Amino acid sequence: MAKIIVVTSGKGGVGKTTSAAAIATGLALRGNKTVVIDFDVGLRNLDLIMGCERRVVYDLVNVIQGEAGLNQALIRDKRVDNLHILPASQTRDKDALTAEGVEKILDTLGKDFDYILCDSPAGIERGAQLAMYFADEAVVVTNPEVSSVRDSDRILGLLASKTRRAERGEDPIKEHLLITRYNPARVTEGDMLNLDDIREILAIDLIGLIPESEAVLRASNQGVPVTHDDSSDAGQAYMDTVSRLLGEDVPLRFHEMQKKSLLSRMFGGGRR
Amino acid sequence: MSLNVDRAGMAFTFKGGMLPMTVMELASADPEQIREQLSGKLSQSPAFFQHTPVVLSVEKLDEPHLALERICAVCRTHKLLPVAVRGGSDPVKQSAWALGLGWFPPSDGARSRALEEVPPIEPVREAEPAAATPTASGGRIYRGTVRSGQQISAPEGDLVVVGAVNAGAEVLAAGSIHVYGALRGRALAGIHGDTLAGIFCRELRAELLSVAGTYKRMEDIDPHLLGSSVQVTLSDAQLGITALD
Repeated sequence: MAKIIVVTSGKGGVGKTTSAAAIATGLALRGNKTVVIDFDVGLRNLDLIMGCERRVVYDLVNVIQGEAGLNQALIRDKRVDNLHILPASQTRDKDALTAEGVEKILDTLGKDFDYILCDSPAGIERGAQLAMYFADEAVVVTNPEVSSVRDSDRILGLLASKTRRAERGEDPIKEHLLITRYNPARVTEGDMLNLDDIREILAIDLIGLIPESEAVLRASNQGVPVTHDDSSDAGQAYMDTVSRLLGEDVPLRFHEMQKKSLLSRMFGGGRR
Repeated sequence: MSLNVDRAGMAFTFKGGMLPMTVMELASADPEQIREQLSGKLSQSPAFFQHTPVVLSVEKLDEPHLALERICAVCRTHKLLPVAVRGGSDPVKQSAWALGLGWFPPSDGARSRALEEVPPIEPVREAEPAAATPTASGGRIYRGTVRSGQQISAPEGDLVVVGAVNAGAEVLAAGSIHVYGALRGRALAGIHGDTLAGIFCRELRAELLSVAGTYKRMEDIDPHLLGSSVQVTLSDAQLGITALD
């Protein structure tokens, strides 16, 4: 059976879809058969980030309502062999998602894949609850600012109570903290919460720290998950995150201010 | 410098307080129908009917004239003490005043919950009931972080939280509250009126502290105490916060 991982946050705009795409890509690059599902019905974005928006024919809601088969809706990624995308519907309503329908899809996918990533919509409504309901693990995406931390805290409460594992009294969902848009310089200036404060409040294991990076925006607009950009700090940080998800012990990087080298100071070049 | 008011010479002081109050939401204006239902309830839970103060809410009723006096009489014979009326037309307000009752404007929206459907101090389902272990003395011990949106309560004794109470979370106890971690949310001790209850925590960052209905918001807390390990107790109807170390 595949491992089901939900990428969630509560707050919008913190980098859930970017992270889901990057982690799915990383898992596939490491040889795992991976599918990433967009649960944001009505506001789909994952297809853009994955660069497959022109190849969407059927979507998650079509499959749930029996209008298309799962294989018809799955899109094979052009860059990585093992990676598939199941897009969300842009035209339907969130209410089109049903627990039975989602369960059936996850069960079917579970037989073929090693990892199923569920890209949750923002908020704590139906779409977000269904995205997390069947999960085995959760990646909680948090920005270093107070409202994001509080919303993540709320989501962690829901993960511990409103999921299948919680309702059945099984082992709890494994919760991982992923901090994105971390800017060590602004943390030092006090503009951003620092890593230790976030960890102390949320009290869960840190799975990764993604520095604020131009590479992320560029990747999004090009429709190429940032993991492919292995020269960028964000790409490397996501690959570290994937390694930790796979159980490897990787030291934390990019959380401290780096002294600019003499060369880069002379030529004024920043980090990519 | 300060306003030196001779306290001994004052007959009273006004204090803001939050008291638990039962609202009786009337769905019928017929005193006989109310009498019948009250008789049934009285036999089910006699403990509730001990001159319990109630607010009669007539918001859901569309009757400009109400037999308020008879309804109040029915309540009193069942050991409920109507203290005020909420909502209703102007004549209702006038007759409430005539009967010596207070009058409240209608509540804003559907915030009041039906007591019978949702017991006021049961933990909500999100609160991982299994993690809060009841103790023999009627208290509870909760291990873990109480997260934003969660509510943990000990309706019959002390509540011990071995972990932090995060912002947006709420912990309640009939007795005292002990938090072995940071208290960033709301803590309400002595919810049934126990003025000897206290709140104890390792790191004070609370949004709200309340003992037996007397409360302080974070704004009212001496900033020097924020972050330190403290106890909160009631003395002279004032919340006192003192450092533990």
